[in-house]
Amino acid sequence: MKLARRKFLGLGSAALAGVFLKGDKRIEGSFVNDSFPRGHLLRGRAGFLPAKRVEKIPVVIVGGGIAGLSAAWRLQKRGFSDFVLLEMSSQPGGNARWGENEITAYPWAAHYVPVPGPQAAYVRELFEDLGVLKNGQWEERYLAFSPQERLFLYGRWQEGLEPAIGLTPKDRDQFQRLENLFGEFRQSGSFTVPVELGLSSKFQDLDGISFSDWLRQQGCDSRLLNWYMNYACRDDYGALARDTSAWAGVHYFSSRQPEEKGPLTWPEGNGWITRRLLERVGGNIRTSQMVHRITETRRGASVFAEETEFQAQFVIFAAPTFLAPYLLEDFPPLHDFVYSPWLTANLTLERYPESRGAEPSWDTVFLDSPTLGYVDAMHQSLRTHVDRTVWTFYWALAEGAPAENRQLLLEKDWTYWKEAILHDLQRVHSDIRQCVSRIDILRMGHAMIRPAVGSIFSEERRRLRRRNGRILFANSDLSGISIFEEAQYHGVEAAQKVLGRLHG
Amino acid sequence: MGILVFISVLLVAACGLIYELVAGTLASYLVGDSVFQFSTIIGTYLFAMGIGSALSRYIHGRLANRFVWIELLLGVIGGFSSALLMLAFAFTQGFELILYALVMVMGVLVGLEIPLLMRMVRDRYEFRDVIAHVLTFDYLGALGASLLFPILLVPRLGLVRSAMLFGLINAGVALWSTFLFVDQLSATRGLRVACLVVLCALGAGMAEAKQISATAEDNIYADEIIFARDTHYQHLVLTRFKDDLRLFLNSHLQFSSRDEYRYHEALVHPGLAAVPAPRRVLILGGGDGLAVREILKYPLVESITVVDLDPEMTRIFSSNPMLTKLNDKSLLSPRVHVINADAFPWVDGNADSFDFIVIDFPDPTNYSLGKLYTTAFYRAVSRHLSAQGFLVVQSTSPMFARDSFWCIAETLKQAGLQTHPYHVYVPSFGEWGFVLAGMHEYKPPTSLPASLRFVSVDGLPAFFQFPPDMAPLPMPANQLNSQVLVRTYENDWKDISH
Repeated sequence: MKLARRKFLGLGSAALAGVFLKGDKRIEGSFVNDSFPRGHLLRGRAGFLPAKRVEKIPVVIVGGGIAGLSAAWRLQKRGFSDFVLLEMSSQPGGNARWGENEITAYPWAAHYVPVPGPQAAYVRELFEDLGVLKNGQWEERYLAFSPQERLFLYGRWQEGLEPAIGLTPKDRDQFQRLENLFGEFRQSGSFTVPVELGLSSKFQDLDGISFSDWLRQQGCDSRLLNWYMNYACRDDYGALARDTSAWAGVHYFSSRQPEEKGPLTWPEGNGWITRRLLERVGGNIRTSQMVHRITETRRGASVFAEETEFQAQFVIFAAPTFLAPYLLEDFPPLHDFVYSPWLTANLTLERYPESRGAEPSWDTVFLDSPTLGYVDAMHQSLRTHVDRTVWTFYWALAEGAPAENRQLLLEKDWTYWKEAILHDLQRVHSDIRQCVSRIDILRMGHAMIRPAVGSIFSEERRRLRRRNGRILFANSDLSGISIFEEAQYHGVEAAQKVLGRLHG
Repeated sequence: MGILVFISVLLVAACGLIYELVAGTLASYLVGDSVFQFSTIIGTYLFAMGIGSALSRYIHGRLANRFVWIELLLGVIGGFSSALLMLAFAFTQGFELILYALVMVMGVLVGLEIPLLMRMVRDRYEFRDVIAHVLTFDYLGALGASLLFPILLVPRLGLVRSAMLFGLINAGVALWSTFLFVDQLSATRGLRVACLVVLCALGAGMAEAKQISATAEDNIYADEIIFARDTHYQHLVLTRFKDDLRLFLNSHLQFSSRDEYRYHEALVHPGLAAVPAPRRVLILGGGDGLAVREILKYPLVESITVVDLDPEMTRIFSSNPMLTKLNDKSLLSPRVHVINADAFPWVDGNADSFDFIVIDFPDPTNYSLGKLYTTAFYRAVSRHLSAQGFLVVQSTSPMFARDSFWCIAETLKQAGLQTHPYHVYVPSFGEWGFVLAGMHEYKPPTSLPASLRFVSVDGLPAFFQFPPDMAPLPMPANQLNSQVLVRTYENDWKDISH
């Protein structure tokens, strides 16, 4: 009896396994572009080899993300090309890196820039330079095509990400109330992009509490509204509302004019901007250059990368600022620089999955998912008929402590994350496993600065922005907000200061 | 004898269930929404059975005679129900009315059967045995029928013949009952003759069933489908009715051979005849070769480039004799170059210049097609236009999709072109519109190719007059990031279908 039963169970599970295995395609893929093995060398202060060569060069830029590339762009544009840019990895771009396969180019991180307002003068200048803005007109091909965003909730799709169906009168009332409040904050002119231009002590109180506490103070307890506020914080800051400064939460909604045009985007996301910048300044870039020490004197600074000592008059430190204590001697430990860990994955799809009647959109989000959904790289294609595509799947590990999540990123293998991603997609696209042929995963321990409570008006941050030595800081984390415009602003500002002091 | 009575119950029950299933299935096939159809039909049927059961108490005396008549009636009505419903759908407006009336009548008759039968045999058995046996066989019959129906009957016999087969069984039970209950019957002979007549009628019906369903289906699908294919890009269907050939792409009518000359002459000649000495022409879309046929009427034109996404489409229109007769083998002309490519990327990647460009895409029914009606696309196309050239865009109906038509015109204007909208009447489409556009003023041509059947020099100016019900409306331009046209188009047609 016992045996028979066990046999039966065995057969049953074999049959079940057969059911589950049937039709599942084999999915290839791996982790890609891991940066932590090199990064951790710094933390361990591993024995780097002494310099064998000395190069004298007036300006060294450390870090080839948008901040560093923008500094280079500004130097070049002002006719100054006596500089090198040192990038740790083999591919520049930082959070604006991209990849490419036989189907399309696709982003590895940031995938859009909102249409810049009048205050983002440097961004506008760049976009004029790149042909994105012509005679006051935004190039239609670079604006996100319609339909732009869709949200899956209650078993159906809606256009746009702010929940608009299944709302109770109370939900509606709270959404409306918040919209009015954000409108007032917008009117104040203090919530700007770039942040630094509008920063006013008038709203410093907001930086002292979390966004979720502030929402509670406003009497906003609607579940849908809180989901949406949390989604916004996870999307831009990689953090939950309770780990985000209320000032930053308000900034997300109050810093831009309600814009119908839709953001600027490209198949490879902000990688497109990186490519254009590389066309202009690529000659000055040295990749795979691990900077392991920077020394500063009154007359200049030395940057030690691999086996070379670069003797410069000025160093623009555009790498993430948290690295400074590991590289600079006698640099005080930092307290207000917390980073959110992220995971992005690029999924190769042999066909589009079932979407319950909805046409594919640029950005797709699922209500109540811990992930941020996905962006379709082929959406900006001009073709009318698309078979295969690449989806970029975004997942900010916002729940829990960043350090623990970084550990999780390191510990779990590719199969674990692959399954987690497919599981999330499967709830909406039941046939996703038959569509995907490849999943490449990028793990980023310090993906973006987190605007935690107190970080926007942090004294530490302010001191670094105004630092007057031979080393100028330029990463977007100086603003406390990790967006393209902040990175570009600090990069250009640093370049201008350097130019001013070189010529002055 | 007992078992024979109960087998009758089993057969009768099976028949009753089959008629119900036939009605539900046919309604689902023809009208769609199977959940709704099955629920309402089962509900109506059961309700009618209740009425039948209630009515049974008013039947007194000569029960066996009544029972035989009921069986015969059911045999006829149930047996022919499927054929009747198909013909009703094909030839009348009142399918639903006939459907539910039939279901009611059959339900009442079925509801009468079992109570009468029970009363007929009540003297032979204990009451509790009657109840137990009759109901047991009733349910067994239902089970048998419900299994047979999807597994054997529908796939093997089809709906028309399945119903008739069970009509035969009903009539068979009637005949058999005249022997089984002979002691309770009067006028037995007349009954048996009636049974034979019904059996013959149903037998003949079985033989003719194919013709009946063919007649009905022909009328449901209107025309003979002579070609249907799912290409990689679209669902392509060609139908013919007498001399009328029609092409459907994803079930949207593209042309009818009876009046397509109106559409294609109007698409090509007002613009092309106005270009001095046209040499090179580009057609985007239009893989049917019908616009090419019109363009070939200009001897000066040296080269015609056709860019159509679907290779299957251009292949069929180059090889099928019926279709090459329609387009005069235009795609096989040495002056014609067919390129199978997606239009927008092709336009972007090509540097040639053309004297006349025809843009003939399907209507903007979705966001993918909508990209081909944007300022970005028209800007890209206009870079290919020679100084004296014109382009023409098929622009949906200014009558039925007035907003869409003027949205397309505005889009061309904002792409930097001068626009000259016009419209014509094409019977199978109704009022249809085009927008001619170029870098300069348009003067209607003073001469046209010979042998045109629709466009004439004298008639042309009227094309450009829009009566008040089609007059211009202020509309925004359609852009890649807004795609207002797709939404507008959807609303335009929604308004009409209501």
